[in-house]
Amino acid sequence: MSDNLTKKTISVQDAATEMSRRSFIKGGALLTGAALMGLVAPSIRNAAWAAGSDAPEKTDVKIGFIPLTDCASVVMASVKGFDKKYGINIIPSKEASWAGVRDKLTNGELDASHVLYGLIYGLQMGIGGPQKDMAVLMNLNHNGQAITLSNALKDKGVMDGTSLRKLISSDKREYTFAQTFPTGTHAMWLYYWLAAHDINPFSDVKNIVVPPPQMVANMRVGNMDGFCVGEPWNARAIMDKIGFTVTTTQDIWQEHPEKVLGTTKAFVEQYPNTARAMVAAILDASKFIDASVNRREVAETVASKAYINCPVDVIDGRMAGKYDNGAGKTWDDPHAMKFFDEGKVNYPYLSDGMWFMTQHKRWGLVKDDPDYLSIAKSVNRIDVYKDAAAMAKVATPTETMRTSKLMDGKVWDGSNPAAYAASFAVKA
Amino acid sequence: MLFSFKNKGGKHVIKVLLVDSDRGRGAVIAQALLDSDMGCDIFRPDLEANLIKTVESYHPDVIIIEVDAPSRDTLEHLAIINELNPKPVVMFAENDDSNLIRKAIQSGVSAYVVDGVAQNRIKSILEVAIARFREYQALKDELAQTKHQLADRKLIEKAKGFLMKQAGIDEDTAFKQLRKLAMDKGKPLAEIAANVVSVAELLS
Repeated sequence: MSDNLTKKTISVQDAATEMSRRSFIKGGALLTGAALMGLVAPSIRNAAWAAGSDAPEKTDVKIGFIPLTDCASVVMASVKGFDKKYGINIIPSKEASWAGVRDKLTNGELDASHVLYGLIYGLQMGIGGPQKDMAVLMNLNHNGQAITLSNALKDKGVMDGTSLRKLISSDKREYTFAQTFPTGTHAMWLYYWLAAHDINPFSDVKNIVVPPPQMVANMRVGNMDGFCVGEPWNARAIMDKIGFTVTTTQDIWQEHPEKVLGTTKAFVEQYPNTARAMVAAILDASKFIDASVNRREVAETVASKAYINCPVDVIDGRMAGKYDNGAGKTWDDPHAMKFFDEGKVNYPYLSDGMWFMTQHKRWGLVKDDPDYLSIAKSVNRIDVYKDAAAMAKVATPTETMRTSKLMDGKVWDGSNPAAYAASFAVKA
Repeated sequence: MLFSFKNKGGKHVIKVLLVDSDRGRGAVIAQALLDSDMGCDIFRPDLEANLIKTVESYHPDVIIIEVDAPSRDTLEHLAIINELNPKPVVMFAENDDSNLIRKAIQSGVSAYVVDGVAQNRIKSILEVAIARFREYQALKDELAQTKHQLADRKLIEKAKGFLMKQAGIDEDTAFKQLRKLAMDKGKPLAEIAANVVSVAELLS
């Protein structure tokens, strides 16, 4: 019997080798088209890619994510098999904190991650520790974060920034606001919004860091008055009747950059083809997510326990732009969270990267003006992005800067970062 | 409930804040640090404790915390913004000992250090913490494995008993049948036994 078993195993292996040889030849002869490759088993497909110079050097890639709605493109690239099309296998890895993401990126436990734009620049500039050369491969999403204030503030008549300012100056006590990471995006959106209402985020209020999934619980027990975080946690605060959305981040900066696909510069240098394949696969996933017919499927997938672990309806509504601020106002938001927008979301504009550095300077996280443009050029890998976009047939803009007008009327176009950073009345 | 371990011997006592979600493991690491004669004062806060307040009241020199603790971002904030200024040492050790960093992260511990503590002492503290963390983990794994094996054996016994009763065969034959089934299907014996047992439950 054991003889029989051995024979069986051998013949199965022979068949597999033969199959793979034939498919390999066929694949090589017929074409290169990724669509055809989709029909072939992954192991064989990798062999076919390996035949060309574009072959990913590393096929298994571990990509970290934090349970937030905007992790969707990384997750869907894996779940829907867009990764296989480009000869890689994405292994999404759920992480507990941004500090953990940073550690694992810098020591190689993660190959890349869904990560806060500003965190990558903080590392690049050595904020809070020695400097590490980092890379932004693509922007993952625009918009879709928000600032929530407690219902206790609402009961005292706070409905917007102006009434919050009034309360803080008339009813003196310690007001506490939370964000998600000191150099991250939510810190910058919160600071920008407070400062636009003449509230200094450091001297007028206390500001702390709380992990996203713990925001709602902390507000419930009265530990804080407001927070800035990604969805679904603002929607969750409304569902749990503890707070309301005072502003969305798209109302602070319409089409703002948010999470990126981040990795180290060393990774891109060692595995350039893998880096390109990751971007191409996530571009395909981004396209898939933005097609409204797929939205429910995406929401259901990311809501599951393996990813965000949250009721699907809490995610679905705001993802589709159906907003309810929890204080009697509902609207359809054309600038809700976007993952693709014909590729406009994903291009790693140098001006986007530079903006975070101007805010780090504004709030004293760096003492002197960094060399904005040259840092942004080395971090934002437009070269890798362009090649990947060509593979995924996504159009790329010709300009490396874009112009935006933020909530306070100030215009940012990347042209004079040092002057822009110094131009704010409220600062550290 | 708070745990505080005092070491009265050492002159230059390093105050270590140990944050671990596993009570047993935390105790093992704390004891190991005390036994190491490095001169540590160890404080273990309640899991629900507000980490910011704990840091403000205890003034630790070093904070050792699980790599995957969500509250690490809170420490990061203290490191960058506050005057208390704990520095993340694991990733950013001044001498950038990447070997130690890698070991620490693989073990699941991370450390933050406040300015002014000698690098070599931090290193020793971390080494001890890492070693104990791993030993504890190995013990736990072994226990889990043993429990698993025991459960498997119980299942197989049950399946054998069912076959013996149903087919009127002896124990040896019943076992051989199970084993043959497992080999034919290419599945573990325990899995086959579990299937047999669930069939038995259906029939009974």
